[in-house]
Amino acid sequence: MSRSINLQFWKSGVQIKNSERFLKLIFTCIFVLLILPAHGQDLRLSGSNRAEYWFFVDPNLDTTNYKDHLTEKLKLSLDYKELTMRGIFFFWEPSLRTIGRLSYIDYSAQYKKDPVLLLYGRYYATFGRGLCLNQFLDEDFNNDNSLFGVKVDLSGFKSRVTLLSGKPRNIFFEELQYKIKNDTTDQIRGVNFETSILNFDNPWGFNTSLGGRYVRINRKKDMTPKAFTELFGGGINFKLGPWENYLEYAQRLGTIPRVGGRLKGDGYLFTSALSLTGFGLSLQYMDYNDLGVFSEDGYRYNEPPTPIKSGISVNRGVDEIGYGIAVVTSPFDFISLEIDNNKVSTHDPGLGRFKELFYLMDGMAGVLEQGVKAITHPTELSEITIGVDYLVKQKIELPVNKKTETKPYLDLQYDFGTFFIELGLEQTFTTSDTSKYNDRAASVSVGKPERFVLTLRVEKRNRVPGWLIEKLGKETFWPMLELSLDLTTRHNLRLRIGGEKGGLVCSGGVCRFEEPFRGIKAVLTSIF
Amino acid sequence: MKEEIRFKLLAISSLFLLIVNFVFAQEKELPTAPDFTLQDVDGNVVCLDSLLKKGPVFMSFWALWCKMCIKELDALRPYYDEFDSLGLQMLAISQDKARAVPKVKPFALSHKWKYTVVLDPDNILRELYNVQAMPTSFIINQDKKIVFVHQGYKPGDEEIIVDKVRCLIGKKCKGECKGKGHE
Repeated sequence: MSRSINLQFWKSGVQIKNSERFLKLIFTCIFVLLILPAHGQDLRLSGSNRAEYWFFVDPNLDTTNYKDHLTEKLKLSLDYKELTMRGIFFFWEPSLRTIGRLSYIDYSAQYKKDPVLLLYGRYYATFGRGLCLNQFLDEDFNNDNSLFGVKVDLSGFKSRVTLLSGKPRNIFFEELQYKIKNDTTDQIRGVNFETSILNFDNPWGFNTSLGGRYVRINRKKDMTPKAFTELFGGGINFKLGPWENYLEYAQRLGTIPRVGGRLKGDGYLFTSALSLTGFGLSLQYMDYNDLGVFSEDGYRYNEPPTPIKSGISVNRGVDEIGYGIAVVTSPFDFISLEIDNNKVSTHDPGLGRFKELFYLMDGMAGVLEQGVKAITHPTELSEITIGVDYLVKQKIELPVNKKTETKPYLDLQYDFGTFFIELGLEQTFTTSDTSKYNDRAASVSVGKPERFVLTLRVEKRNRVPGWLIEKLGKETFWPMLELSLDLTTRHNLRLRIGGEKGGLVCSGGVCRFEEPFRGIKAVLTSIF
Repeated sequence: MKEEIRFKLLAISSLFLLIVNFVFAQEKELPTAPDFTLQDVDGNVVCLDSLLKKGPVFMSFWALWCKMCIKELDALRPYYDEFDSLGLQMLAISQDKARAVPKVKPFALSHKWKYTVVLDPDNILRELYNVQAMPTSFIINQDKKIVFVHQGYKPGDEEIIVDKVRCLIGKKCKGECKGKGHE
């Protein structure tokens, strides 16, 4: 949540740009810290730090060629009554200077006193469920979609209005390096309105809320005459006791970038959830046609939800139809059960609505995901998890046309009081077009509360098909030893030695192909 | 060029020393918890000041994909009634993005959690409390001071949290109440 004042790749031998601004910021911080004692009672400085060091074999070169990189992210917050100032100091330096290192300082300043919130700097914002605007931070997946500019929130009368203006930036980790996918001069302006004013107490537990939103994207690069992109839409949420429904519609209007001519798209999202003690059901239906807005370099301005739990989407709102069904139940205290059945694919109107939605036919690009998991506690001190995941990916992992994975797994955990033991077994049977292979993995963990967890994991692949050798190499065995050490309740050190097989990983519709890893990872996280 | 680098190093070192100095100086006093106002899964407004009028606050940052977060909240479930009767306000702060929000309430209720489940899809609270790892738990006393922070979860860690809460609300506990928020 911040703004970069010094955001660039550092090529070797090239001096830092904006040095004066950098030093000004440092000295402003020093000044603020010097005057703190005079206002100590109202001021609060807090923060956290994550330092990460990797030492590994370059997957593209021979085994004697080692690389390393260091990542450091320090977050600081300074609160003074209604004012909050935040800074993020990020530094990433790989050993291979030809890649270039990345460093930036982000900041934001916020004033909040009900009913107003004013923010200047770097921030994140989602309107509704993201059909019109979704600028979010997924720190666990290293995907940072932010805006730099101004945001104003006004609340009152069971309603809230958000006005914002900002420039987007996306920092994404892939191919073992941090990349700025987009840092353009494009500008996003938007307004979002949500109200629950129609809510009133009633014996049936019925209430409803409404929302409306408008987003305009001004592209400086697009030289098309009268170029514009606008997104607008609305949503309604209605509840009846434990049953809650949400419908959102969004429309996109604009010109086709660089080509000209009118472009029109739209999208629907419907969700329905039933929440009872011990039982939960959620249903999702989505249908997007040319709703996803993206720049030439792939940056997305909105991010319509995918129903796929493992985070895969087909083309992120351009041409998608899908559904999601999830059931979670704990009929007794000693057992819980989770069932998922989700699908997303491109449209095929020739099939008819029912088949188009529920079937993954040949020729479609799409994902079908099914899973069942049971967690049981035979005794107070033990836990058994057993499940099967089934995943079909069609035209997702090119050059493979169809890939099917079936993964049964079993986890056993026993708590001896002063320490615990966990055993894990899993096997993945994969069919990629005509080739078949399987991965077997076993792990054992020993841990002591408040102290440490030590894990040994081994994974073996029986054979590697040709198309996979190009992407992941010929390796078939990945042993790994991991130690997670609680230095205090605020400081944790994690050491990992060994191999990771790599592959496609996704979160929220965004995917990256992770390189295989063989080496050491050390991560120190602190909160203060 | 060397001069400039030296100057920058000096500036950064000064800043670092001042931060360290200030953070250690703060340890004499418990840190104040930042204010927040968010919505829970039922659409109710949840703000820290209102919660603290009822009692101390425990909050845990979790997400649907975070296995250890769910284990921690499941492990604390048997203590809910005891703590609730003593006035402790227990919050489960969901870090799920807007796309996963519809699944949060059914999941929480299916696991029989009685905690107030708060939605934070834009990471507002996560940034405010500088959370780096999941799960991370906080205990805030009625003077609005953060008395306990805990990163991560391992089976058995719930005992530390339970003990801290019992200390805070004046019940018999195993550990010594350090009262300075540092463990």
